[in-house]
Amino acid sequence: MKAIEADGRPIEVLLVEDSIGDVRLTKEAFRAANASIHLHVASDGIEAIAFLKREGVHIHAPRPDLILLDLDLPNMGGREVLAYIKKDDTLRTIPTAILSISEAESDIAKSYQLQANCYLIKPAHWDAFASLGKSINDFWLTKVKLPQKSQSP
Amino acid sequence: MITRELSESKESDAKYRGLLEAAPDAMVVVNQGGEIVLLNVQAEKQFGYRRDELVGQKVKNIIPEGFAERLIADGTRSAAEALAQHIGTGLELIGRRKDGGEFPIEIMLSPLESTEGVLVTAAIRNISVRKAAERHLAQMEGRYRGLLEAAPDAMVVVNQAGEIVLLNVQAEKQFGYRRDELVGQKVKNIIPEGFAERLIADALRSAEDALAQQIGTGIELTGRRKDGSGFPIEIMLSPLESAEGVLVTAAIRNITKRKKAEANLLQKVEELNRSNEELEQFAYIASHDLQEPLRMVASYTQLLSRRYKGQLDSDADEFIAFAVDGASRMQRLIQDLLAYSRTGTNAKHLFETSSEEALQQALVNLRGAIEESHAVVTHDPLPTVLADEMQLVQLFQNLVGNAVKYQNPGIPRIHISAARNGGNKWIFSIKDNGLGIDSQYFDRIFGMFQRLHKREEFAGTGVGLAICKKIVERHGGSISVESQPGHGSTFHFALEGSERES
Repeated sequence: MKAIEADGRPIEVLLVEDSIGDVRLTKEAFRAANASIHLHVASDGIEAIAFLKREGVHIHAPRPDLILLDLDLPNMGGREVLAYIKKDDTLRTIPTAILSISEAESDIAKSYQLQANCYLIKPAHWDAFASLGKSINDFWLTKVKLPQKSQSP
Repeated sequence: MITRELSESKESDAKYRGLLEAAPDAMVVVNQGGEIVLLNVQAEKQFGYRRDELVGQKVKNIIPEGFAERLIADGTRSAAEALAQHIGTGLELIGRRKDGGEFPIEIMLSPLESTEGVLVTAAIRNISVRKAAERHLAQMEGRYRGLLEAAPDAMVVVNQAGEIVLLNVQAEKQFGYRRDELVGQKVKNIIPEGFAERLIADALRSAEDALAQQIGTGIELTGRRKDGSGFPIEIMLSPLESAEGVLVTAAIRNITKRKKAEANLLQKVEELNRSNEELEQFAYIASHDLQEPLRMVASYTQLLSRRYKGQLDSDADEFIAFAVDGASRMQRLIQDLLAYSRTGTNAKHLFETSSEEALQQALVNLRGAIEESHAVVTHDPLPTVLADEMQLVQLFQNLVGNAVKYQNPGIPRIHISAARNGGNKWIFSIKDNGLGIDSQYFDRIFGMFQRLHKREEFAGTGVGLAICKKIVERHGGSISVESQPGHGSTFHFALEGSERES
């Protein structure tokens, strides 16, 4: 966490999730793990793309340090969003973690084929959810060295 | 007088006599007065008289009826006419021997011009053997006819030309014709296709071949009634040797009901399969979709309890604890229900699998529980079987897991062994020294959600053994238990061995 905070910017995380229950759980989990995380929420795939492309109301949206992407989304599915991100020259360097309820081998394999950076199963309990939030913070937002934002186009 | 006149032409008489004696039949020459003037040795033998006892006697003495009358009638006609009428036409009459015994004869008459007018030569053949044969045949036919009528099916006898020669009353009823409307008709009229063609094929083979091939093999065809309506039939053919060549007897069964029943059964099976599939699909989807909202309930009640424990009153803490417990229990139930329905819906992949390796994997998965209870798990060398490896691991895991779990205070001792059952099956046994099970529950424990203990005593959803049963049955085997309360349990299940010796 310090690695990113070093340049004085807050950590930006985009959560693409349509279930408000899961949104709140994720917020609570991150708040417990690291209060300086800015969690942005897109409730479907189309909004996620608009956020990432800074379209419409998202014109001032920050570039996220990490994307948490649910697979089961209305309008535009998580897989399509993932494919879009990984085909886009400016977006593909953003680490994208799948956060899904599905334990199906086909979903997991397909996600990695589409260049997901990791695949996480949504925990069934709060304790596990809190622990996952902490793990994400400790690894992706702390240990992992991410590309400099200024170098991104 | 006749004798004298005949003797006048001794030369021709001698020739004629020679011919007479050479004839294979009894020969008698009779004059217009019905008196015997000449006979041969066969006639003597046939009728049991000496020659001199017959010459000059009335022919009525040896052929009581039908012959003398004809002679008189013939006397009124010219010899040429009589000849023309009688040549080649055998008359069937009765002959009478000297001893009074009678026998059937066939006589052939031919006129013989002589100086005393027209004489009649009668060739007399004893036809008692032929008559007996005919009677026998008639009897057989009568019997066959009787059999035909007694048959529960419609029966039709057909000749090689495809014409109906005989049928029974059931055939009349079945096809809606009167008997005389069918006899002589083509069988194609009542069985449009498949039968007549077969007759032709059969004609090329011997009756034995045909019999051997057709016996017991029903051919399903369509019958047509007089009113034109069709109905499904099954026919069984058998050849029948007869004087007119090989006939074919066809037993014709109306299988409308059977066809309907078959179609009905098929439909029911399809419906059952469909509803089974739907049910499994339903169980899967329901349990899968129920997980989502339940995850919210479980997560938020837990979050409540973590964040607000001790900040509300003690009642609130207790209520929240119940909610947390209920939600997580329901999660386990749904997880197990999902596992159960997955056991049924996944495709079967049976490969040669080392059951010993599967057991080892199960023991690794159970390591926590085994260490905690200090259980001692031993096993014999285990065979290679045809199995889905994942499911076999699950099976061992559930059975050994239960053996570890349902224990008296003390050290659980569990032993796994396998023995051949004569054939290619292996009977696996998982024996424990645990609580044991009352025999009244032996069937129930393999049912869905069946539990024998309070939750406070032993946690669990009651799905484990139901999954075991489903796994074993999907492998074509069966599972059972032997147990006595207080004396441990032994679970047995059978699996197909691999071709290769293990």
